[in-house]
Amino acid sequence: MGKRVLVVDDANFMRMVVKDTLMPNGFEIVGEATNGVEAVSKYNELKPDLVTMDITMKVKDGLEAAREIIAADPNARIVMVTALGQEKMLLDAIALGVRDFVVKPFTKERILSAVEKALL
Amino acid sequence: MLKINAKHVNPFVEAAMRVVTQITGIEVRRGHLSYKPKAEPSYGVSIIIGIYGYLTGQIVYSLDGTLAERLVDKLLDGKSPQEKKIMFLDALGEVANMITGNATSLLNQRRDQVLNITTPAIAAGTNLSVHLVPKPALVLGLITQYGPIEISIAVEEKETLQETDSVEGLLSEA
Repeated sequence: MGKRVLVVDDANFMRMVVKDTLMPNGFEIVGEATNGVEAVSKYNELKPDLVTMDITMKVKDGLEAAREIIAADPNARIVMVTALGQEKMLLDAIALGVRDFVVKPFTKERILSAVEKALL
Repeated sequence: MLKINAKHVNPFVEAAMRVVTQITGIEVRRGHLSYKPKAEPSYGVSIIIGIYGYLTGQIVYSLDGTLAERLVDKLLDGKSPQEKKIMFLDALGEVANMITGNATSLLNQRRDQVLNITTPAIAAGTNLSVHLVPKPALVLGLITQYGPIEISIAVEEKETLQETDSVEGLLSEA
């Protein structure tokens, strides 16, 4: 069975792009979330092997959600998938324990590589 | 006279050309640069994204329906007409999000700070009224084979406006 992935992004379009990239490559999409609050709740409920996480979302952003998930589960594997690629943001995310940082727009190869490395 | 730093403008041109071409294959060329006393959109589809941090303000993307449909067709190639209809505004908002996010990365010279952006607000259709913060904007025209894209940049630097160029100077460079 493929690794179980939770896809978090407020844009339906981007969730579709991530799913369309991961599913044909053997990953199982176990859930989707549209904001940070949902992401934390679904992580606790579904215990996925990996989370792809957008940053800019209403209610609670992706960095805050990642912080909460990693605080509760230090082994959580999270890959940020975001349009924001500023150096300080990247360093802050890595300091949190995020495994990788993919800047949109991305190629299929880039996100597959990030996800596969995060699961090693 | 409006004072604005040229370094706040060019990253949006570069990001728009790179993002649109990469994700849709549609070529984008630089058009005219102009000034508006308020960032009101010129075309039927508008996407508004806020920027906050050491720069604050709004970026307003505006394009006509034909170009919007072409962009969504390319973005959702292989999807059904029903799926394209459902994701029409969402996909356009994400394009604007990517352009703005990439532009903030390009213009952020202050590596100890970050610029954040808001989620996009999208409006499409005729007889719509878009309410914007009444700030002057530099308006970038971009040209594609399917129609123009207009990017209105209405941002202010929180601190001192040193190293600034006048609008007249920018217009003469364009």
